[in-house]
Amino acid sequence: MSNGVYVLPSAANGDVKPVVSSTPLVDFLMQLEDYTPTIPDAVTGYYLNRAGFEASDPRIIRLISLAAQKFISDIANDALQHCKMKGTASGSSRSKSKDRKYTLTMEDLTPALSEYGINVKKPHYFT
Amino acid sequence: MADTMATAGAGSSGTRSGGKQSTNPADNYHLARRRTLQVVVSSLLTEAGFESAEKASVETLTEMLQSYISEIGRSAKSYCEHTARTQPTLSDIVVTLVEMGFNVDTLPAYAKRSQRMVITAPPVTNQPVTPKALTAGQNRPHPPHIPSHFPEFPDPHTYIKTPTYREPVSDYQILREKAASQRRDVERALTRFMAKTGETQSLFKDDVSTFPLIAARPFTIPYLTALLPSELEMQQMEETDSSEQDEQTDTENLPLHISTDDSGAEKENTSVLQQNSSLTGSRNGEESLIDNPYLRPVKKPKIRRKKPNPPARLGHFPFCSRACVPFYPIALHSKSKPPNLAFEILCQFIVSFG
Repeated sequence: MSNGVYVLPSAANGDVKPVVSSTPLVDFLMQLEDYTPTIPDAVTGYYLNRAGFEASDPRIIRLISLAAQKFISDIANDALQHCKMKGTASGSSRSKSKDRKYTLTMEDLTPALSEYGINVKKPHYFT
Repeated sequence: MADTMATAGAGSSGTRSGGKQSTNPADNYHLARRRTLQVVVSSLLTEAGFESAEKASVETLTEMLQSYISEIGRSAKSYCEHTARTQPTLSDIVVTLVEMGFNVDTLPAYAKRSQRMVITAPPVTNQPVTPKALTAGQNRPHPPHIPSHFPEFPDPHTYIKTPTYREPVSDYQILREKAASQRRDVERALTRFMAKTGETQSLFKDDVSTFPLIAARPFTIPYLTALLPSELEMQQMEETDSSEQDEQTDTENLPLHISTDDSGAEKENTSVLQQNSSLTGSRNGEESLIDNPYLRPVKKPKIRRKKPNPPARLGHFPFCSRACVPFYPIALHSKSKPPNLAFEILCQFIVSFG
């Protein structure tokens, strides 16, 4: 249990080699000091404090901000795929490259989010 | 958190989009961080390849980012406390991310990838919360076990109670005056009440209501109250007797009874006088302790009994007036027939009177 992995007793046979892995991000944490995530530490720390989380190590704050960043960028990439699919599906001319005209709209974002289990419904206009 | 700022939408360069700030400085302090998150989202979208974006989608993503960070913090804290710790560690965060459906293995790869992009978003300048104009007194500082990012203690006037009251007047003279005036008022009110509800006699012939006097009720036998001792006297005598020597327990009750025998009257007189002297002796001891003349116990006058007239062997009423006495010898002598009719009538009158 010290390594965080449960070793099966059948491994004694020698057929299966147990995979020993420590906590995944311990090494990464050491390298984290070089990368500065986009979200400043103060902002992430503020929101974590409001949730009751008191960080002892500033690298942990960077880790969390990095994780949140990746979350958003994954969604953005999915939305981009949706946007590209809609563009090329209609069979537009290939000379015209649509790479510079991507606009994030709610029509692209909604299906991307629904894959993550997040359902958003925004009104188009206010009367 | 409602974003009331009117922004022009996320630009392509990811720079801070300026807008009219219609909020007060206190709100700005809380909104500044949200704006930073918006900038971050804009930069991430730019990195993904978008040129522009709808404001609603940017708002959606900003809200999601804020919720995500808060949820990680809350969940990591819960896991940490679940294992009886107070300081969250890396394992708590890893477990939290796994629970939220985040693939932890891809994180290092992502970190290296993002190095290619421009890292913008300047840090938020520290804007202190504006002090309220209604603060009264100093707030208590945080005890050491409370982290600094927690809100401050409330103003001391919200939980400290200082009762305001005047000291009660304890001056003897004033209290004495108050007691005397209250007593006078009570007596006056009571007598007026009795005069208004009972029978009254008036001093003046024509004016009845000005000075009403409570009508006196004459008793049938006027001297009865003088003969019978009052309840208070009986109680006092019993109390002082019980606290005194036990030798006089036999003679204590004698003065309370009406004397029936003349021969015993003298004995009772002396015993009563002895009793009274002993009572006064006991009271003298008490009086020496109390100087105040208003607080001394009331001294009742001593009961003096006059020697009854020996020829008047009446039996029950030694206090009878002497008016009755001469009638009896005349009545006794009436056995012989009186020659006078007037004398007969007089005798009958006497008999009915006696």
